[in-house]
Amino acid sequence: MANARAIVKRLKAVKNVRKITRTMELIATARFKKAMDRATEAAAYTKKLAEIVADLSAGDLEFSHPLLEAREAQKKCVLLILTSNRGLCGGYNGAVLRLAMQRIKEARELEQDLRIEVSGKRGTAFLKFSGIEWDEQYLDFEDQPAFDAVDEIASRFAEAYVREEIDRVDVVYTRFKTVSRQSAVMETLLPVGDLAEEQDDAKAGGSDLQYEFLPSAEEILEEIVPASFKARVFKCFLDAAVSEQIARMVAMKGATENADEMIRDFSQQYNRARQSQITSELAEIIGGAAALE
Amino acid sequence: MSTSRQLQLVLVTPEQTLLDEPVTAVRLPLFDGLAGLRPGRAPMVGRLGTGELRFDAVGGGTRSYYVDGGFVQVKGTVVSVLTNRAVPSNEIDRAEADKLLDEARSMPAATDEAYDEKKRAEDRARQLQAIAARS
Repeated sequence: MANARAIVKRLKAVKNVRKITRTMELIATARFKKAMDRATEAAAYTKKLAEIVADLSAGDLEFSHPLLEAREAQKKCVLLILTSNRGLCGGYNGAVLRLAMQRIKEARELEQDLRIEVSGKRGTAFLKFSGIEWDEQYLDFEDQPAFDAVDEIASRFAEAYVREEIDRVDVVYTRFKTVSRQSAVMETLLPVGDLAEEQDDAKAGGSDLQYEFLPSAEEILEEIVPASFKARVFKCFLDAAVSEQIARMVAMKGATENADEMIRDFSQQYNRARQSQITSELAEIIGGAAALE
Repeated sequence: MSTSRQLQLVLVTPEQTLLDEPVTAVRLPLFDGLAGLRPGRAPMVGRLGTGELRFDAVGGGTRSYYVDGGFVQVKGTVVSVLTNRAVPSNEIDRAEADKLLDEARSMPAATDEAYDEKKRAEDRARQLQAIAARS
């Protein structure tokens, strides 16, 4: 039978770990709420943009913009990987990095010149481990990405794309579907696919109003394409932030539950060990007394 | 027809919805100058410039925001302003605006693009200064 002392020691250690995981769970929950609120607020902007795009497309306009044009030869590509700065969030980073590795492998096979940009320490740590070099890293995106910072990155992509320095931009991130469903996905950011694609909701609410476009529909389009591209990149960052907190929440909940289970088992073991110790001591005393008689 | 005497002004940035309230009139900087909106404006979509967005609140009083580019959409009684950056005018710091103008002035203007960029930055800083001086 195990020593009761040793079990007490382990029991204490598990209890301490449980305290930590429980606290992290609570923190993740609070951060998730904040991140979620931000994501909801940001949705208003995207929705309005979509509405204007829907109105524009109702006007029988030819959509043409450098950012919309797909290039046939995709030689120079960019891969943006969104991971977290901190660990202890279950399979969150693993899933994203697995997808990223697929893309990197594919690029090697197709002999594309792939420029890798990573957000998050977990991503850089993984790439370093795999011996893959990356070209740019962003480590200051926490659970509340700021638009200005994302805007900078997005503008750089857009400008490089227009100057034909890059032919394609992909992003790997965890998309937030519902609170209970997030999945790692890879999306092509540039060329911007069909603008009207995601705007089914907006179109349903669209009307036959005759708009006055100032200065002209074409010029509005010219501005709105980069704007919606930036909004899309920003949404990726927001989604990743929200998903990270959810992943951490779930992981920590699991860890706390495991700790609870271990505490139960150890308490039981400890009680048994203590009981058998007492029994054996009693037996010794009785045995000793019997020998004296 | 009391409702048509008001406009619902919605001011959104990519990060948040700053404003969603009824107003009686809006003045905003379009790409080529100031435009005024009153209730009953025909539907329009316009490109914004840089400058001050002023509006008359329903209860009286005028408030204003500094907006930096974006779009405005008028649809029925709803005026939606989408902009990358919006700052309440009373939070604009004169000293900071001065500093921005200095920075803009010292920008290089070697190419046409850089020159345009510089002009825009200067214009932005001057607008900020003007707003700061007013409030």
